Amino acid sequence: MSVAFIPHELQGNILRGYRRSMVRYLLLEVADRQAARIWLGAIAAREGADGLSITTESAWSSKPDFCFNVGLTFEGLRALGVAPDSLQTFPTEFVEGMTARAAKLGDFGPSDPQTWPAPFDEPARLHIIASIYADDEPHLDQVQAHIAAAGGGRALRIRGTREGRNFNGDVVHFGYRDNISQPRFAVIHDRPEISEPMAPLGTVLLGHETSFEGLFWRVPQPDPLGLNGCFNAFRILAQDVAAFETYLDQAAEELLVHRLTEHVLKPGDEAKFGQGISRLAALREIVAAHMCGRWRNGVPLALSPDTPNPQSPVSLTDFDYTAQSGCPVGAHVRRSNPRGGKIVQRIENHTRRLVRRGIPYGGPYDPTRPDDEERGLLGNFLGANLGTQFEAISCDWLNLGLQDPQITGSNDPLLGANEPATSWFDMSLLNGASIRLRGFPRFVRTRGGAYTFLPSIPALRYLATLTG
Amino acid sequence: MESEATWFDRLVDALPNTRLFQFIAEWILVPYWAARTPVKPQPGGPRMAPQPSENLQHMMNLIMPLKDKSPIGRAKAALAIAQNVDEIYAGLNNVGTVHFARFVLVDGNLCMFSVYDGDFSNYIRDFIATIGSVFNAIVALIEDGDAVIPCEHHVEAFIDWVHARDLYQVPDLATDLLAQHNAAASGDDLRLLPRDLILQLHANPNVSLGSGYRGYPAFSVAQIRQKLGVGW
Repeated sequence: MSVAFIPHELQGNILRGYRRSMVRYLLLEVADRQAARIWLGAIAAREGADGLSITTESAWSSKPDFCFNVGLTFEGLRALGVAPDSLQTFPTEFVEGMTARAAKLGDFGPSDPQTWPAPFDEPARLHIIASIYADDEPHLDQVQAHIAAAGGGRALRIRGTREGRNFNGDVVHFGYRDNISQPRFAVIHDRPEISEPMAPLGTVLLGHETSFEGLFWRVPQPDPLGLNGCFNAFRILAQDVAAFETYLDQAAEELLVHRLTEHVLKPGDEAKFGQGISRLAALREIVAAHMCGRWRNGVPLALSPDTPNPQSPVSLTDFDYTAQSGCPVGAHVRRSNPRGGKIVQRIENHTRRLVRRGIPYGGPYDPTRPDDEERGLLGNFLGANLGTQFEAISCDWLNLGLQDPQITGSNDPLLGANEPATSWFDMSLLNGASIRLRGFPRFVRTRGGAYTFLPSIPALRYLATLTG
Repeated sequence: MESEATWFDRLVDALPNTRLFQFIAEWILVPYWAARTPVKPQPGGPRMAPQPSENLQHMMNLIMPLKDKSPIGRAKAALAIAQNVDEIYAGLNNVGTVHFARFVLVDGNLCMFSVYDGDFSNYIRDFIATIGSVFNAIVALIEDGDAVIPCEHHVEAFIDWVHARDLYQVPDLATDLLAQHNAAASGDDLRLLPRDLILQLHANPNVSLGSGYRGYPAFSVAQIRQKLGVGW
């Protein structure tokens, strides 16, 4: 059943990250259906209208000035005039949209879609999310101006923008290095010398073999519209850096006087964290590392449980989780991708993998000058099946801890819908025991988002041919 | 202050128990209400809740009308379960999140009642991935089942199909019932609750009254098995 892999027919932001320093998302409403369809057809051409065309998976001879991609919401497909019998072939979660799935995603309380600012407060009018990737602002402005002028200025209405930019390489708010582990695809990448199995293309592309043997996801019909498409959960995740750093202080002070403190950090081992670093500061880093599963420099706890600076370099990606792993079962990276480790749902090892693309928004937090500025992550979570990947991870693993009886009933310490009165997280100690941390608040809240469909290039051409 | 019921009060109270009133309600009043204010059937199964403990144990009450409701058709269903029982039990064990599950024939319906942990879609999807072929043999005997088999190739449609046949779970508390039924229809007017509930039951002949009793609430299968030392 698998279809051919043709790079120039795929949007380029699915299988690779562009690694640009800035991204701007334009949140668009279809104002004139016919003009919008003509515009989609134009940007699907290799020599697009006025030089703007979709960036595809084709290899670059030289790095372009900017990259450009589009995602369509279900309401967007409807606004473009996709026929009802075709719309019915899209999966339920996409049809209902992200706001209707709030309970599954932990979007309640301060993350409730009712609290999301415009334009996410009117999901029915959010039709297209266009993403522009560049290294400078003029190129972002250039593409935005082009879109504003599409169809003589009447095709699309820009209802909002969101902009992210890297401020310290791959480091994101909370101070962790991000963008480390991604699925590697059999057709695209060379076989790496790592223990994780290669991901089939059907992990992200519709019409290809999935990671479940013998299972196929429904391809939205007709084939030109659905094949080689991908679904995306676009999320605006505000991070409360001040609360996070304050909690690290609190937890480190508790650990400093804890009866098991020597099993958290052997006296004298503070030097492993850097010259002159205090015991309290080292304990802060240990708490941060246990909550994430990686030290803030990206080194995995599974391979270096006692220091972020191992004497011999360790792989950032080639590891697995065992019963003796130094990485807590409830740590963020282990919860969201348990790799080949033992889990309750035996067939789910490696099958819920998704592609993550994120970039920070808002300036870096300066603890010497506290502010109220909103900052966080503009995240994209891509997969061929939102229910199987993004939603399954969100509801059963991040916010329920169903994959291991040791963490069941607790939420992810970094991303979870936590309340100080009930939150808990077990650190793994060097002697095999554990210490339970309590009382941490919700550090990340959702401030907007939408499920989108990233159509193939033939799909954009198909949409351009619609009438009525 | 107490007041004695008048003859008129007593008449009104007694009316619902009179045969005439019951006849009128069943054949005229409810159909008239239903036609005038159509009620959208509530989705089946449980709702996700903010508290992790509330999302641990869920109950599925799957009612599947047999194509052939005769004794022969019912025997075929019984045989389909019996022929696959080892595979079904092994599959349930491998799904890892199932507390209990059983198949029951009720009139012309094959029913599957189970208690599972976590999200409904994940439960059914894991089931398909584990023992989809058994599902195919069973669903082939069910009305409208042919459209969703083989389930391995119709995963999304199959999950929706099961969801539609999983009984609507009437909220446990009257206040929740009020909130759910009246949110869209009639605001917070308590007097309209009976009508909304009656119309919902008119749209859904079979329902689950509440989400059920739990002997050990907020514990997963794996937690119980771990505590008992039987492996998870």
